[in-house]
Amino acid sequence: MMKWIKLAVRNIFRNKRRSFVTLLAIGVGFAAINLFYGWIHHSYYGLRVMAVQAEGLGHLRINRAGWQEKGKLEPEKYMFSKEETEKIIKLTTDEKEVILATPQIQVTGIVTNGVASTIFIAQGVVPKDDKTIKGGWANFRPVNGKELDDQKKYGAEIAQDLARYLNLTPGRDGVVMASTLSGQMNALDIQVMGVYDTGSDFSNDKFMRFTFDFAQSLLDTHSAERIVVLLKDWQDTERMRTTLLKKLQAAGIDCEIRTWKELSLSYLKTKSMLDMMFSFLFTIVIVIVVMTTVNTMGMAILERTREIGTLRALGLKRRGVSLLFSIEGALLGLFGSFMGVVLHLCVWAIIKIYPPQYTPPGISTSMSLTVDLVPQALFILVLCMVGLSLLAAIIPARRAAKQNIVDALGHV
Amino acid sequence: MALIEMKNITKDYHLGETIVHALRGIDLLIDKREFVAIWGPSGSGKTTLLNLISAIDEPTTGELAIAGKDVRSLTDNQKSEHRNETIGFIFQGFNLVPVLSALENVMLPLQIKGASAGEARKQALSRLEEVGLSELIYNRPAKMSGGQQQRVSIARALVNNPSLVIADEPTANLDSETARMIIDLMRELNEKDHTTFIFSTHDQRLLDRVKRLVRMEDGKIVDGGTKQ
Repeated sequence: MMKWIKLAVRNIFRNKRRSFVTLLAIGVGFAAINLFYGWIHHSYYGLRVMAVQAEGLGHLRINRAGWQEKGKLEPEKYMFSKEETEKIIKLTTDEKEVILATPQIQVTGIVTNGVASTIFIAQGVVPKDDKTIKGGWANFRPVNGKELDDQKKYGAEIAQDLARYLNLTPGRDGVVMASTLSGQMNALDIQVMGVYDTGSDFSNDKFMRFTFDFAQSLLDTHSAERIVVLLKDWQDTERMRTTLLKKLQAAGIDCEIRTWKELSLSYLKTKSMLDMMFSFLFTIVIVIVVMTTVNTMGMAILERTREIGTLRALGLKRRGVSLLFSIEGALLGLFGSFMGVVLHLCVWAIIKIYPPQYTPPGISTSMSLTVDLVPQALFILVLCMVGLSLLAAIIPARRAAKQNIVDALGHV
Repeated sequence: MALIEMKNITKDYHLGETIVHALRGIDLLIDKREFVAIWGPSGSGKTTLLNLISAIDEPTTGELAIAGKDVRSLTDNQKSEHRNETIGFIFQGFNLVPVLSALENVMLPLQIKGASAGEARKQALSRLEEVGLSELIYNRPAKMSGGQQQRVSIARALVNNPSLVIADEPTANLDSETARMIIDLMRELNEKDHTTFIFSTHDQRLLDRVKRLVRMEDGKIVDGGTKQ
């Protein structure tokens, strides 16, 4: 086999300019795919952080079964009692994969500064647990003012656009109104502790955060709407959903568990869009690579028709000719990929040193373009390029092998 | 038993709706160790005849046996093996692989056969020495003269120790002096190794150097079809 590989390598560099153009096409395509993949890989990471930390979804959300469909109509029926809440938290935090399980409650209503009012959507959270869920995001987008505090029961955090509309700066007072679970209108005073950036234009004009106790008071209940679970490793999400669901149902708690992917406002849609863009780019590059390889191999076969006839006359079987050209195709893919790795590393390093800034749609501030270096993706794409080049070479290689020897020897 | 037995061989080519009768009833017997020249004017059927003998083409009708094998009954793979083991080729245009050195070109038939690189190298070096090219083994064809390339081609044809060497106009691209040297070299190897040589030519100056002449005209053997 080595002798045929050696011969194939020499044949590749027989027509240096053509081979260089082919290798460049493969290399540029390889680098483009990998750079784009590196960018969306980082984007997926960012979206996950946005969902789990910024949106405060945690990794899993436990609701009473049926909450999703009927919880808005009969909220009290689909909430967890205080005893159930404590039991769920106990059973959940017993699992070694779980960092914390915390009760939350969502309130919607109207917030006013005494002059103007608008709608709000607020999460009632346990401040210390919420801080743990926010993790590094809290440093990335710190609260302007003070953070929620269990000691300050009427304190509230307010999203930056909502704060701006109502001029509710830290230290100022407002009033929130909402329906209790029994349908009575309730209103409570709040004092703005801090103003925060949700990270999203869609939520920055309506989100608020209260303490869990305050939210219960506003809704006049002792129940919890959900238990949010934070895991040590996000990759355990699906497995832990199954484990916890079985465990809680076995303990007599009729519940449903949804993951951060299902709950996130944007994760699945954005991922789906990025996946589609990646598929589109990948398809274009693959078509270019295949066409270039087919063209190069076709030209090589045409130029070497007499040589093919000679090799066949000397006793090389059809499959030998086919193998020779297939090896050449695969090697084009391999060398092109190596060129692609070099190009990719160069561009990656430039982006790392001089990151361009951009503002994604729906995101409140600009961010640096970050491209992850994913060695597994590089390796898989090398295999993919070699395989594709091999496939692209097979058809011309088979055509070469089928040539009539006399005609091939007489080819000028 | 004759090395080559041809009985009533015909070969027709279809050029559109026209049928070209390239060979019209050839009967030919060639024994082992013979040194045969097939000569005649252009278009007389010399190359077609050699193509059939070398099993790279098939007759339209007739019987053809080479070294006792009915070539027409062989599959494509069997024909490839037959050519590799039984027949050596010398081409008018030398047909050396340009990306390989002289040594690698000569090693090629052995490597196609599956010989180890070491064994192939040893035999190729020996054959290159026989044709007087020991000094040029690492040269690629582009860096050799026509005569040197044809000697590499002869070494390549003989490296597998074939029972038959077929040369189609081996001297056509060479000057007279080199042509005579190549024919003399072929004859020397024929006498030394007892390999059968069949070559086509229309160069009358070379005919006095061969043992047997087969003359062709219009797809027929007009002289020398049977041994004198």
